[in-house]
Amino acid sequence: MESENQPRGEAEGVKIHDPPSESSIPAADTLATSLSLLGNHMFPEHANPVEINDNTIVNKEAPAESVLSDAPAGEQSLDAEPQVNQVKELETEESGIFECQNSMYTQPAGGVTEEADMSNGQDDSGEFVVTMLARGKLEEQGVGVKGRSSPLLETGTLEAPAFLSHRDEDVTAESWRQHRKHVFVLSEAGKPIYSRYGSEEALSSTMGVMMALVSFVQSGDNIIRSVYSEEHTVVFLQKGPLVLVCVSSSRQSEQQLRGELLYVYYQIISMLTQASIARIFEHKKNYDLRRLLAGSEKILDGLLNLVDSDPSFLLAAVHCLPLASSLRDSLSQILQKAITPNLVFSILIAKNQLLTIVQEKTVIEDARLEPADVHLLLNLIGASSAFQAGEIWTPICLPLFNPDCYFYAYISYLDPPECTVCLLLLSTDKEAFYAVAECKRRIEEAMVAQNSLSLIAKAQSYSVSQVGVSDLRHFMYKPFDVPDNYRQLTQFTSPEMEAPYSSEEEKMRLLDLYRYMHSRIHSTSRPLKLIYHVAERETLLAWVTSKFELYTCFSPLVTKACAITAITKLLRWIKKEEDRLFIRYPPKYSTTPNPSKSSRGGKSDQQDSTDNGFLSLL
Amino acid sequence: MPEGSKMKKPDVKVVILGDMNVGKTSLLHRYTERKFKDTISTVGGAFYLKQWGPYNISIWDTAGREQFHGLGSMYCRGAAAVILTYDVTNWQSLAELEERFLSLTDTANHDCIYAIVGNKADLTDPKAQLPQDSDRVSEDRAECEEETGSQVLSTCPTPPASPASLSGVMVHKQVGHEDAMALYGRILRYKGLEENGSLPAEKMCFETSAKTGYNVDILFETLFDLVLPSILRKRNENQQSPTVDLEDCRGGNNKRGKTACC
Ligand SMILES: Nc1nc2c(ncn2[C@@H]2O[C@H](COP(=O)(O)OP(=O)(O)OP(=O)(O)O)[C@@H](O)[C@H]2O)c(=O)[nH]1
Ligand SMILES: [Mg+2]
Repeated sequence: MESENQPRGEAEGVKIHDPPSESSIPAADTLATSLSLLGNHMFPEHANPVEINDNTIVNKEAPAESVLSDAPAGEQSLDAEPQVNQVKELETEESGIFECQNSMYTQPAGGVTEEADMSNGQDDSGEFVVTMLARGKLEEQGVGVKGRSSPLLETGTLEAPAFLSHRDEDVTAESWRQHRKHVFVLSEAGKPIYSRYGSEEALSSTMGVMMALVSFVQSGDNIIRSVYSEEHTVVFLQKGPLVLVCVSSSRQSEQQLRGELLYVYYQIISMLTQASIARIFEHKKNYDLRRLLAGSEKILDGLLNLVDSDPSFLLAAVHCLPLASSLRDSLSQILQKAITPNLVFSILIAKNQLLTIVQEKTVIEDARLEPADVHLLLNLIGASSAFQAGEIWTPICLPLFNPDCYFYAYISYLDPPECTVCLLLLSTDKEAFYAVAECKRRIEEAMVAQNSLSLIAKAQSYSVSQVGVSDLRHFMYKPFDVPDNYRQLTQFTSPEMEAPYSSEEEKMRLLDLYRYMHSRIHSTSRPLKLIYHVAERETLLAWVTSKFELYTCFSPLVTKACAITAITKLLRWIKKEEDRLFIRYPPKYSTTPNPSKSSRGGKSDQQDSTDNGFLSLL
Repeated sequence: MPEGSKMKKPDVKVVILGDMNVGKTSLLHRYTERKFKDTISTVGGAFYLKQWGPYNISIWDTAGREQFHGLGSMYCRGAAAVILTYDVTNWQSLAELEERFLSLTDTANHDCIYAIVGNKADLTDPKAQLPQDSDRVSEDRAECEEETGSQVLSTCPTPPASPASLSGVMVHKQVGHEDAMALYGRILRYKGLEENGSLPAEKMCFETSAKTGYNVDILFETLFDLVLPSILRKRNENQQSPTVDLEDCRGGNNKRGKTACC
């Protein structure tokens, strides 16, 4: 099963892996034609349709694993004995999370892979959770030996300066095709809605072909999910009346790319709400959604740039600025005191990272703010920063919280003209601007009194050198499901990217390595618990347990023993610093101090049918 | 001191309306920051407090996008002046004022003042390419040099039909001053106001350029002067303490403050 689903880069033609219906056979021609049409535009290097067919794999079901995983060459077995002790130590540190069983997975194409495999049922001894760790056997890969250019050696394409509009790009130019990741949004009727590069109009025929593909496969009661060619992965995501397509040469896994498309979808929802999009297309199938989204392109562009450069999206976790817990607590208290009816979230942000979040009590009881919603908020703030002196009041939907309702966001900087500290107040009341703005004045006053701004100004991300482990260059640590963290915003911590990852190219390269590790860890067919990956210029170790997910990057000369000792030290250091690194106990307040005449009544009175009403939540 | 701990209570509200991309944010930015820079389409609305002599004027820069239409009447509630903005090179943007934005002003004050502003005049009118104010010339020159500075004289004779717009070449003007004045008349009628008793169209229709600064100060300062009676009335009602006035005066914008302090 695996070998069938796994594209091996051989000539496989247009292959439909999951043909439950007969229709796929006669229609294969049409599909091939569509593909080659698409190919002509997107990948002219394969302009010959025959060639495209030869190199393209259409995947209608979730593929087992990304293309990335098809390079077993160079994977080595390890002499594991010396590590046993350290691993034991790790285990004790993490107090018996593992039921360890050993398994060895040997790949046919030469070289031995050893990895922690937790896919059940593939092997009759499929009971194992983490195998490697028990025996200290870790997967090792030499990337340089890969058959074709390694994704991990690829450097990220540098984005043009923010002000340069991609809208005017010539879509027939080679440079347009060279973009590392294209994203298109279209309506079910095939109407273009958004393109990351080039204008939607110029691309309407391309989008039409994409839609033809989608609906062709749909006619056979299938869903098109991805298309692989030698250079590109095309991923489709259909959400309601919208179809999102990503054409990527970034070598990310299909799952990751689909996750990114989902962020794009959520960002659109955050501006229009799911309900109103559904309503619009119910009324008029070929509505031009650009009418409503016009002007939002920069927000979507900004989101995609963030997705490429900020690991928060990959990890689905929020990065908060390290801060002495006493200072964080005092900031939370300031927020907690400045409240007004219908205020539900108060969020303080510095340098695009969270300082603290305070929630209304009733809200937190049955819901928590999801990282993705916070990412959308942060992106919105970034995208509206052009003119920072004012106080912004805008409706925004938090799609994971409730995809059909608007909040009203108050956004204001507390330290003009620098504009690094930003206050975000979310209310459910459209008319509450002046009341909420008054909260800001009180927050400002309290912060002046406590000299908070200058204390915040001193706060900064930390250097990996503070961990005190010589070979450790960088890491990302995401705890989850520990009692403290329960029902709390999922967060991660990570030091500054420093030399040798200071240039944009190198940063992107490290992120690509992390993305690769992440895709292996989260592979749907063969998820791994632990990967030890020897790359050309660094060595990486990724490890996921029931308590955390950890990605580490070491200098290339590190030994496995050292890496494991280093991780032990790192985990200790994080434990010691966690009060500073994470928002630990997000405080709650009640904006309805007098339940009898609570905001409930008031809110429904103010409900405004013209824009979908408000949260019917409180 | 940034915004300070002192609450500045706005005395009066001015709202800028108009289709997206006509240059509302750019106009306000030109006026308050003396600059023209790249903008991002506004989300919702942005609230600014401008000190005008001893007075605090709140200005709402609203989003022109249809998406935010539902908020418009909230921004306009109790407004003393509304700036209806269009783009002189885009006829539709003038039509939108009547179709989409005029009804939002129903929540404004009864004695609300309306100004109709055709922005981007620099694209159609050579005289709008020259920075207005002598004391700001050097600054503006520096910023807009490539776009306007050297081309002003040489490109003046370019036939107005030329579509090229990027290099400072003239663009066809789609909306004439008289079109705006006619709209002004219709607005008065819509509001049920007498033409004689109201401010004349010649005074309330502007052509501006946020890019060069052409007519921008005149626009805002005319409006601020015109809303003064409304401020004074409100102040009398609220019986503001004089200490606030003094403080505000000191921190206020000195140059234009003088003209306003009467
Ligand atoms: N040539 C020229 N361009 C202008 C002028 N004013 C604005 N622009 C340009 O027009 C575009 C839109 O300007 P904005 O100020 O963002 O428009 P807006 O009316 O605030 O748009 P929304 O916020 O979406 O409603 C920007 O690219 C500006 O650079 C002007 O006076 N002359
Ligand atoms: Mg604007």
